[in-house]
Amino acid sequence: MSTPNTQASEERPIRVMVVDDHPMWRDAVARDLTESGFDVVATAGDGPGAVRRARAVTPDVLVLDLNLPGMPGVQVCKELVGSNPGLRVLVLSASGEHADVLEAVKSGATGYLLKSASTQELTDAVRATAAGDPVFTPGLAGLVLGEYRRLASDPAPAAPDQPKVPQLTDRETEVLRLVAKGLSYKQIAERLVISHRTVQNHVQNTLGKLQLHNRVELVRYAIEAGLDDV
Amino acid sequence: MAGRVRVVRMSVEQPLWRALTAYRVLTLVYAALLAGFGSEKFERPWVVVAYLAFLALWTLVTLPRVANAASCTKRFLGLDLVVALVGILLTPLADFDAQHVDGPTLPSIWTAGSVLAFALKGGWRWAAFASTLVAVANIVERGEPSEDTFHNVVLVWVASIAIGYVVEVARASERTLARALEIEAATRERERLARDIHDSVLQVLAMVQRRGTALGGEAAELGRMAGEQEVALRTLVSSGLVPATRVSEDSAEGAVVRAVDTGDLERADEDEQAPCDLRSLLAVHAGSRVVFAEPGAPVLLPAAAARELAAAVSAALDNVRVHAGADAQAWILVEDEPDAVIVTVRDDGPGIPEGRLDQAEEEGRLGVALSIRGRLRDLGGTAELISVPGQGTEVELKIPKVSRGKAGTAR
Repeated sequence: MSTPNTQASEERPIRVMVVDDHPMWRDAVARDLTESGFDVVATAGDGPGAVRRARAVTPDVLVLDLNLPGMPGVQVCKELVGSNPGLRVLVLSASGEHADVLEAVKSGATGYLLKSASTQELTDAVRATAAGDPVFTPGLAGLVLGEYRRLASDPAPAAPDQPKVPQLTDRETEVLRLVAKGLSYKQIAERLVISHRTVQNHVQNTLGKLQLHNRVELVRYAIEAGLDDV
Repeated sequence: MAGRVRVVRMSVEQPLWRALTAYRVLTLVYAALLAGFGSEKFERPWVVVAYLAFLALWTLVTLPRVANAASCTKRFLGLDLVVALVGILLTPLADFDAQHVDGPTLPSIWTAGSVLAFALKGGWRWAAFASTLVAVANIVERGEPSEDTFHNVVLVWVASIAIGYVVEVARASERTLARALEIEAATRERERLARDIHDSVLQVLAMVQRRGTALGGEAAELGRMAGEQEVALRTLVSSGLVPATRVSEDSAEGAVVRAVDTGDLERADEDEQAPCDLRSLLAVHAGSRVVFAEPGAPVLLPAAAARELAAAVSAALDNVRVHAGADAQAWILVEDEPDAVIVTVRDDGPGIPEGRLDQAEEEGRLGVALSIRGRLRDLGGTAELISVPGQGTEVELKIPKVSRGKAGTAR
C-alpha cells in the first residue's frame, strides 16, 4: 500500500476525498486541493454518505471533519480504516475537542489540522498524510503526551494476560515534547542531531503504539463480551 | 417537561397504591372468615352479617378510589374512616362480651387499610389524625381496656405515622430526582446545541480568516480579527470549559444555581487549598500568536500555586514580547507528570547566544527571568532558561506536586 502512495505523487495525482457538512468549507477545501494538483475524487456532507462513497471510490487520503450529521466523524474514521488499513485520514476540525481528536487519532487518523490552518499548510498536510507521514499540531502532541501519562498512571493491569500499557521511549517523549513546543521536524532534527526521517519515525511510532493499544483493547473487550463467537 | 415529572412520580408512588388496593380486598376476606369461624360467640349475628355485607359492597365499589392519589379524595377518605369506626363501635352490639374480653372487632385489620390510605394521601399528619380516631374508637369499644388494647392502639398509631412519614420522604426524593433529571436533560441539550453552534461559528470565523488573507488589504485585517476570535472560542470549547460557565450564566431557575454551586466552590479563588485546573488559567493566553498545548485531563494544583504559576507564565509571555518582538510566535506546553507539573513557554525569536546568557545574568539584565525564578522558588519549583540559537528561547517552569497524602485529601 505504501509504494503507490509515496511514489505515485509524480506519476498520478493523489486521490483525495473531502468530508465536511458545511458546503462552504467542502467547496473551498476541494477547490484549494484541486488547484494544488490533487485529484478530489469525491465529497460527502454526512457520516453514512462518507462511508458509502469512500468504499466506492477508495481515495488515498480522506480529509475528514469530526462534526458530521448522521454519524460522528470518529465513527466514520473507525469504519473506513477498519475495512481498509491503507486509507490515510487527515482530520480537519474546527473545534478540536480533546476527546474527539484523541479518539480519532487512536482509531487510525494519522494527521490532524485545525481549520484555521492556511491553504499552504493544508496542501502540505494532505501531501504528508498521503506519504504516510504523521501530521501533528503542537496541540495534538500535547494531547498524545497527556494520554500516555494517563495510561501510565492508571492502576496496573490486574490479570497477566491483559495487554501491556504502551509506553514511550525517552527519545520519543523528547521528540513529542519538542513538537508540542512548536518546533518543526527540521528544527527537531537539528537540535537532536538526527535525520528528518528519524524524527518522523519517532512521531509515527507514538501514534502507532496508541492505535495498536486501542485495537488490542477492542479485541479484548470483544472476547470478554463474548462477541468473538459471532 | 411536566409529563416527565409525572411519570417519574408515578413510578415510586404507584406500587404503594396497588398494594393498598390488594390489602383492602384481602383484609375484607380475612374479616369475613374471622366472623364466620367465630360465629357462635355473636349474640346478634344479623348485625355482623349486615355490617360485613355492607363492608364488602363498600370495599368493592370504592376499589377505583384507592388506585391513585388523584382519585382518593378527602370525601372518600372521610367516609371510609366512618365505615371503619362504625364497624368498631358496632362490635359490642353484636358480641356482648366484646367490652370485657380481648377479641377482634368486626372490620378487624381492615381498619388499617383506611388509616394507610390517609398516610399515602397526606403523609404523617393525616395518618396521625386517622389513627387517633381509630384508637379512641377502639378504647370506647373495649369498655374496660386491657394492657393489650393500649399496646395495639399505640402500635397502630406509631406504624401509621411512620408509614406516612416514609411516604413523605419518598415523595420529596421523587421530586428532587425529577428535578435533577430535568436539569441534566436540559444541560445536555444545551451542551449539544452549544457544540453545534460553536462548530458553525468556528467554521465561519476560520473561513473569514482564510478568505480575508487571500483577498488582502482591508479584508486581511478582518481576517486577522476573525482569526483571533476563532482561537479564543476554540480554546474555550476544546477545554470543555463552556458547559460550566453556561450553566452559571443561565441560572434563572433556582435548581440550576444549586447544581453549579458545587462546581464553583471547587474553583473558588478564595479557597487557597482547593484544587484548581491550571489549564483553565492558561487557556486565556491562546491567540493567533500563542499556541497552547495541554493534556486532555484537568491539571489540578492548589489554587494559590496555580495562580502563581499562571502569573509566571504571563511574565514569561511579556518577556517574549519585549525581547523577541511583538510578532514573535509563542508556544505554551502544559505537562502533568506524576510528581510535577511542567509548563514550558517557548518563542521563535533569535534566542540568546551561549555565552551571552551567563553574561546577561551577571549584569543583572535578566530581570524578568529572575523574577520568574523567584516566584517559582517560593512554590518549591524551578525555572530554567534554555536557548538554542535559531530555535528561540524556552522557559521551563516546574512545580513539584504536593505529597501523596495531601493530594489525597484535596481530591
